[in-house]
Amino acid sequence: MAHAPEHGHHARTLPANLGAPAFVNGWRRRALIVGAVFSALSLLLAVLDHSIDHLLRAWLLGFMICFGFAVGGMALLMVQYLTGGKWGLLVRRPLEAMSRTLPLVFLYFLPIGIFAKKLYLWAAISNPAEALKSGLISAAQAHAIAFKRPMLNLTTMWITTIACFAIWGFYMWRLNSLSLQRDSDTESPVHYWTQKFENLSGPGVVIYSLTLTAGVIYWVMSLDPTWYSSVYGLLFLVGQGYAALALVILTVLTLAKGEPFKTILRVTEQHDLGKLTFAFVMLNIYLAFSQFLIIWSGNLPEEIPWYLDRIRGGWGVVITLDFLFHWLVPFTLLLSRDLKRNRKRLIFVCQWMIFARCWDMFWLIEPNFPDARRNLHFSFGILQYAAVPVALLAFWSAYYFFQLQQRPLVAVNDPHLAEILEPDHAHA
Amino acid sequence: MAQIEGTYGLLAEFDTPTELIAAAKAAYGSGWRRLDCYTPYPVEEAAEAIGFHSNRVSLVCLIGGLMGLAAMFGLETWASVLAYPLNIGGRPLYSWPAFIVPAYEWTILFAGLSAAFGMLAMNGLPAMYHPLFNSPSFRNGATTDKFFLCLEANDPKFSLSETKKYLENFGPLSVVEVDY
Repeated sequence: MAHAPEHGHHARTLPANLGAPAFVNGWRRRALIVGAVFSALSLLLAVLDHSIDHLLRAWLLGFMICFGFAVGGMALLMVQYLTGGKWGLLVRRPLEAMSRTLPLVFLYFLPIGIFAKKLYLWAAISNPAEALKSGLISAAQAHAIAFKRPMLNLTTMWITTIACFAIWGFYMWRLNSLSLQRDSDTESPVHYWTQKFENLSGPGVVIYSLTLTAGVIYWVMSLDPTWYSSVYGLLFLVGQGYAALALVILTVLTLAKGEPFKTILRVTEQHDLGKLTFAFVMLNIYLAFSQFLIIWSGNLPEEIPWYLDRIRGGWGVVITLDFLFHWLVPFTLLLSRDLKRNRKRLIFVCQWMIFARCWDMFWLIEPNFPDARRNLHFSFGILQYAAVPVALLAFWSAYYFFQLQQRPLVAVNDPHLAEILEPDHAHA
Repeated sequence: MAQIEGTYGLLAEFDTPTELIAAAKAAYGSGWRRLDCYTPYPVEEAAEAIGFHSNRVSLVCLIGGLMGLAAMFGLETWASVLAYPLNIGGRPLYSWPAFIVPAYEWTILFAGLSAAFGMLAMNGLPAMYHPLFNSPSFRNGATTDKFFLCLEANDPKFSLSETKKYLENFGPLSVVEVDY
């Protein structure tokens, strides 16, 4: 064995069955049970609260998180084709499964679109001048609603939403069907497929960032029609990467309890994914803080109330915790090299990050509403934030697990596959 | 300064990292402690194989970073609050949000410099002379495509003939004696 060629004598072999391990069925069942329990809980809370206002707000939160997984996962899939690298092969199939949940995410949007008048001030107020006279809204709000009317109206919102989902649907279909074709096509040279995916993904990432910006402006930013921020789309883009990456690492690490990931997951790629997560944690706080610093420095009456609504009246506690949850905790933990190479601990950090993303979304959404701004207080309604998003996420997860089971978990026609099966030290 | 003379150690040359790691693990397992691996690119497992445990560089890096943070934040606070208290747009003198960005930059700068200099201080670099370069195979292969295991003479288990035989068991390309 002295001169073994290409270190081949230690390479592992892929198991014959590349399908999802049997325990994914158990995950699905558990997700459905959690979904059912929390749906019942949210109905109970709606009865106790005598309104569905908070149910809708919390629904928006759950929708935004699931949307982040489906579309953010798809964006990460495209980025992975563009950058290359062995980590990409590892996460490709889970990301594809995330992207295929898009139809469910569109269903999640429907209640928001249908009950838009209960959520969005600009949708509820048809005549801003009259509403101002009767004291329903402030002068600033009346002005913003009237001025932004060509954009902020229900027709445009529906058209934009459907157009965005159609574009994402197109990419979802192309990325997923081409990936299966690639698996079965052993004739074409390697660069035929890498180029095909690069050509699809390059424009795809740009289009994703534009459509995503349009979507989040309508769904979240316009909850407060007076305020705007030019970095808003980018903030959500990074936030989606943050959460989608955490979920995909979580998936890969927990799937590695069984085949085929047991064979293909190496510490090297796990470490790489951990480092990438760290980069997203940094970029996320960088953008969030830049937006704050610019608005704080400007101190303009059009902009600063958005932050004051979210700091005063008890919200200071939420934003302080947000900073700790969203940045300080994952940042300090991910600094450690040993932690990134430890499966159990990295799983914990990923779960934590998904929770932190939900917490951040709560801080973004709830203070938009007159009863909550500068006034964080208890009501049965606010508990909806702990019920509805859990239910939506649970049903979404069940669908995601179902999608995971639909395909082999490893893309086989990829030059990286041979490398990933070699021992950790075989390549620089 | 006294001139060190005699044998530095025995150097085995391997074609692949896999063989090197197998040999290093076996040597460490049978009690060798004065040994080292040399590879053309970082091979994490080689370090683990010879019982390398975490070093202090990351601690120095962390302390450096925290010092940079404290230094810049302190400087800004001192300048804005104590030394030159100016009213800028009615903002409070202690305007911490504005201090964050330079403080962050200094954290990165200090952490980076401490990591680099801490690493140099603790790994014995720069070294003007190392006996291993007396071996031609090492000079030719260590930075290109060969993997080396050196069992050093100051290990109590070292014996020129026995150790040479021991190393040859692993099927190396060559085993050479390296002098100081």
